[in-house]
Amino acid sequence: MAKDLVTPPPTAQRPSAGGPAPGRRQPGVGIGAKAVGILNGGFLLLWGLITTLPLLWAIISSFKTNGEFRTDPMGFPSGLEWDNFARAWSAANIGQYFLNSVIVVSMSLTMTMLFGAMGAYVLARYDFPGNRIIYFGFVGGLVLPVFLALVPMFFIVRNLGDLPFVGQFLGLNSYFSLALVYTAFSMPFTVFFLTAFFRTLPTAVAEAGIVDGCSHFSLFFRVMLPMAKPGLISLALFNFLGHWNQYVLPLVIMQDSDKRVLAQGLGVLAAQTGFRADWTALFAGLVIALLPVLIVYILFQKRIQAGLTAGVLK
Amino acid sequence: MATVTYDKATRVYPGQDTPAVDSLDLAIEDGEFLVLVGPSGCGKSTSLRMLAGLEEVDAGSIRIGERDVTHMPPKDRDIAMVFQNYALYPHMTVAANMGFALKISGTPKAEIQRRVLEAAKLLDLVEYLDRKPKALSGGQRQRVAMGRAIVREPQVFLMDEPLSNLDAKLRVSTRTQIASLQRRLGITTVYVTHDQIEAMTMGDRVCVLKDGLLQQVDTPLNLYDTPANVFVAGFIGSPAMNIATFDIIEGGRAKLGEADVSVPRSVLTKVSDEGSDLVTIGFRPESLVPVSSEDVGGIPVTVDVVEELGSDAFVYGHPAGPKAAEQTDRMRSDTVIARVEPRMAPAKGEKIVLKVREGESHFFSVKTGERIPQ
Repeated sequence: MAKDLVTPPPTAQRPSAGGPAPGRRQPGVGIGAKAVGILNGGFLLLWGLITTLPLLWAIISSFKTNGEFRTDPMGFPSGLEWDNFARAWSAANIGQYFLNSVIVVSMSLTMTMLFGAMGAYVLARYDFPGNRIIYFGFVGGLVLPVFLALVPMFFIVRNLGDLPFVGQFLGLNSYFSLALVYTAFSMPFTVFFLTAFFRTLPTAVAEAGIVDGCSHFSLFFRVMLPMAKPGLISLALFNFLGHWNQYVLPLVIMQDSDKRVLAQGLGVLAAQTGFRADWTALFAGLVIALLPVLIVYILFQKRIQAGLTAGVLK
Repeated sequence: MATVTYDKATRVYPGQDTPAVDSLDLAIEDGEFLVLVGPSGCGKSTSLRMLAGLEEVDAGSIRIGERDVTHMPPKDRDIAMVFQNYALYPHMTVAANMGFALKISGTPKAEIQRRVLEAAKLLDLVEYLDRKPKALSGGQRQRVAMGRAIVREPQVFLMDEPLSNLDAKLRVSTRTQIASLQRRLGITTVYVTHDQIEAMTMGDRVCVLKDGLLQQVDTPLNLYDTPANVFVAGFIGSPAMNIATFDIIEGGRAKLGEADVSVPRSVLTKVSDEGSDLVTIGFRPESLVPVSSEDVGGIPVTVDVVEELGSDAFVYGHPAGPKAAEQTDRMRSDTVIARVEPRMAPAKGEKIVLKVREGESHFFSVKTGERIPQ
């Protein structure tokens, strides 16, 4: 994707005038560093091509007619075939799936950020017995593979539907259930990352808030949360990408055909068209699904990078 | 406006044996500017934070006016605090920063606006009201922090080293601004600093702390003229007082190597009452005068460095004479400091004899470190 098109690293520095005598170079600088630089640049360029070319191919293919695609899969289209998008949107139901995705992700993202921030804040700033245990409980969730949890999760979600009163909003094939599951799975990283972030915020500002008369709640919502905005934005973007691209979890929970989310819908579309071969509509659907992600990536590239690396380093 | 009383207030940090603040007894008058001063780790900030309610009080009590605030949450104490690094809310404008406490307490908007503007005028901040803290200079941020405290019109101001992040020149001018502002507003103020010059210039009274123990509370001049013990003597005053332990010899004199100082009779009796023949003597740099070496007594000194400031000149030297090594062992610092006439300073390496002006020596018990009154 776009972020992989990294500029090659700067070329190695020449030895300065006052350096060692000509003909004798020190190890690690000069030609050696230059070679590493070229190798790095070359590797990144290759990797960039590997990731971008299929993407470009899909986008270009989404504008071809099926005939063009079959005769010359690698060529350019003679005109822009917008009908592919119309077919994908309405006939293949991508429009409905898109809407489902938007509903689920907007719920799950709100919940993840709100509860993640609240949990992380308390873990980072309040000392109470069991604090570490809860924290490591969350962090431990990071090592749990999704597939291991799939079966128990399915039964839990199905049983949620049997609860009195709230059961009608839960259970399988419910937007809210899926959003809850997304939230649960993003909690470990969100709490892990935001705890580290809240720890870096200056204690003095919190104390100033307390002296100014804040309660615990107003201190959190009026002082600490706005101060954590950079971290929250990075993480919200990261979580958005994760939730939007989710495939396995909705596959288990959303079994009604009109409740499918986008990634599922594309899978279905691919399977259905596999032999009837409406390839270009499939590519058009793919582009529709990709567009929000791509836009988010392009707009917030720096933030995502900062968020990811901050999470890794801390 | 109110008085503040520490009544045997004690704070022991969890997991530590010695208290950070050890039964502090301190009564601060209504409208007084009291400075807490001491070396780092002496408990001065802890004392202030106990009053703010940011630190628990493990024993004893604290009262503001007649109210016992020992276990009251900070917001009910009617105090305002200025922090060392200002602790401004980075996401709020200057005006919002200053009005935040009023907003939390539900003051009407018009009233908040009026009070913020009033404080901003007082502090010369009107044109910055819409800015965020990061767009302000250090001095301006400091004034916003002051403004945030003023707007609340509290009973007590608490200031925790509010000048330590400013550069030297700004610190001096802000120092006088804060002092005059406090006198104008007449609000009881507790001010923490490690800088004894700030303490001396700003406080109505100064409270010297060391290792969590109160050493002395008095007006700046009284601290300077009659320090209660060796620690206060060495801590207050810049350059520092010369302090050394002398042997008492015949004829009402005390001797250390070649140095020879007269001791009043009253001090001699008290020292002998203690059963000691040693006494700690301190003398300020300005109490030393150069004399010709033929006079009786005096302190021979070899000049190491001369600091000429124009208005003053300070001689830094080490004791001269055959027993110099023995002398340095018993001195508080390696150097002897003397203030001399700025245009007649001795040259580096020269040997001079200094004499303590009559009645300007300070005597302390070797055993307790307490002052021995003359």
